[in-house]
Amino acid sequence: MERKKKILLVDDDVDFVDLNKAVLKNHGFEVLVAFSGKEGLDKVKFEEPDLIVLDLMLERHDTGFGFAQALKGDPRYSKIPILLLTAVAETTGYDFSQEIDGYWMKTDDYASKPLIPEELVKRITALLARAKEKG
Amino acid sequence: MDQAMRILVVDDERGIREGCRRILSAEGLVVEVAEHGREGLEKLRSLPFDLLLVDLMMPVMGGIEMMENVRTYDPEIILIVITGFATVESAVDAMKHGAYDYVSKPFTPDQLLAVVNRGLETRRLRLQAKRLTEERDQKLLEVANETSKLHTIVNSLAEGILVFNQERQLVLWNPAVARMLNFAGLSKAGRDMGEIIHQRELLDVISKAFSPDAARYTVQTEEVELRSPEPRTIMVSLSSVKDESGRELGVVSLLRDITASKEIDQIKSRFVTMVAHELRTPLAAIEGYLSAYLSGAAGTDPIVNRNMLERAKARSHSLLEMVGDLLHLVKLQSARVVRKKEPLDVTAVIRETVELLKGQGDEKGLRIRVSLPKSLPLVEADRSEMEHLFTNLVSNAIKYNEKNGNVSVTARARDHFIVIKVADTGIGVDQESLPHLFEEFYRVHDPKTRYTTGTGLGLSIAKKIVESHFGSIGVESEKGKGTTFTVKFPVKQR
Repeated sequence: MERKKKILLVDDDVDFVDLNKAVLKNHGFEVLVAFSGKEGLDKVKFEEPDLIVLDLMLERHDTGFGFAQALKGDPRYSKIPILLLTAVAETTGYDFSQEIDGYWMKTDDYASKPLIPEELVKRITALLARAKEKG
Repeated sequence: MDQAMRILVVDDERGIREGCRRILSAEGLVVEVAEHGREGLEKLRSLPFDLLLVDLMMPVMGGIEMMENVRTYDPEIILIVITGFATVESAVDAMKHGAYDYVSKPFTPDQLLAVVNRGLETRRLRLQAKRLTEERDQKLLEVANETSKLHTIVNSLAEGILVFNQERQLVLWNPAVARMLNFAGLSKAGRDMGEIIHQRELLDVISKAFSPDAARYTVQTEEVELRSPEPRTIMVSLSSVKDESGRELGVVSLLRDITASKEIDQIKSRFVTMVAHELRTPLAAIEGYLSAYLSGAAGTDPIVNRNMLERAKARSHSLLEMVGDLLHLVKLQSARVVRKKEPLDVTAVIRETVELLKGQGDEKGLRIRVSLPKSLPLVEADRSEMEHLFTNLVSNAIKYNEKNGNVSVTARARDHFIVIKVADTGIGVDQESLPHLFEEFYRVHDPKTRYTTGTGLGLSIAKKIVESHFGSIGVESEKGKGTTFTVKFPVKQR
């Protein structure tokens, strides 16, 4: 039987984390959580997740940005797909099109919050499949 | 305008005097006569004359002598000499002494008139020229005044002005623009635009005004980001200068430094972004929980499902608080807040606040100790704002406290202030977060308070309230030990 996929949730909102953890577990995923960039980096190093769900506005500032840059810049972790979430796409001007922002944001997918849990599950599943194809 | 010209005839021969008078009066000229030089000079001194007819050969004072005297009085008077014998020498001599012309005896009325009229014509022309010169000088003075007035105004403007002619040469500038663009040393009319403006972005914008399409627009306005000499944002307004026939003469550009207002815009925009995030986040949680509950996405465990609803409820409540706080914040920031300040003894407010929150404290087994003097010196304060302030501080002391901990509220008068302290034995704040506590939406990330709902605006509102009462608020804390807030208000002066 295939090992359960490990999803790391990096978000400072406790309800987002709790809710999605419960739903993802129910859908057969193993779930790790981190409430800050620092915590997230530690979890990546020690647990080697298969996918990371990341909030852009971590700790009020867009430190989610820094986290993504750090990971993608490190050859050990750059292959881990990142699903970036943000509640404020309009005002921060992040267009999140892969063409425009893809190369410097270096995340593999993005979505706008609010995102209902079932939708999140779908996106995670699709992203994992794509990553698997790329090999 | 044409007053009759006035002639003075000076001749010792009565016949000549009266003859001239008759001939010239008939032409509408005003004629005076004098027998000899001295009389003539007296008349000249007292009355104005345009033309003097003087006999060269006169006893006592000859014509030449008289002419010399006359010229010192009135250098512009036309001098015509009457010569007794038409020799070249006497005519030339007369001219040397300033005579305009001569007429030789015997002369016919026509001859006299011819000479006199020529003289008067010249006189008229000279007077006209003089008038025109005076008018021109007057106008030039006016223009100079206008010019210097304009100059003064242009130089006093806070905005920068740059005027270039069609050949892109500098025609006009003012000190403001020289400062803005840092070209003071190069300011000289005629300099090429490229020499004066080093900032590429600005050069491009102004150059656009010279293009043929530009003529279509009356005024073009653009914002330009300058990097040198300092990073600034300049609003540039350009208009084409045209003459009466519509031909382009050049371009005038007005430059205004809008860096400050841009910064304010940026601050506002960041705030709006944060508000959007702070409102969307709890809504996302609420929607997420309800959606998962309804779809069963989180499984069938009833405890898990019930907990989701509890959390949705808690987040809804805090969202309502958030909206209330935001409105309060906006009200505090607005310049038109009407504060109902009155002389207030805050001891009553403090006691009431603690009373209201006692229940919450009891739930956690907290001991709340209040130490207040019988009365405190009055402060000029808005009662409801004070209630809000103390409610926030005391409820924080309760919220972030450990079970069976302590809360103490003390107040004292010290010098010209009253000092109020709200201390708790709660989880405390780490040194890194301490300086940020009063920032909007700031919440300390502590695992112990992960489920504690707060708007993140309480302390920033508290600070604004304190400052609007000319007081100060400070905080000390040790992680794991507790936190103390100190508020000071100036005592109302009698």
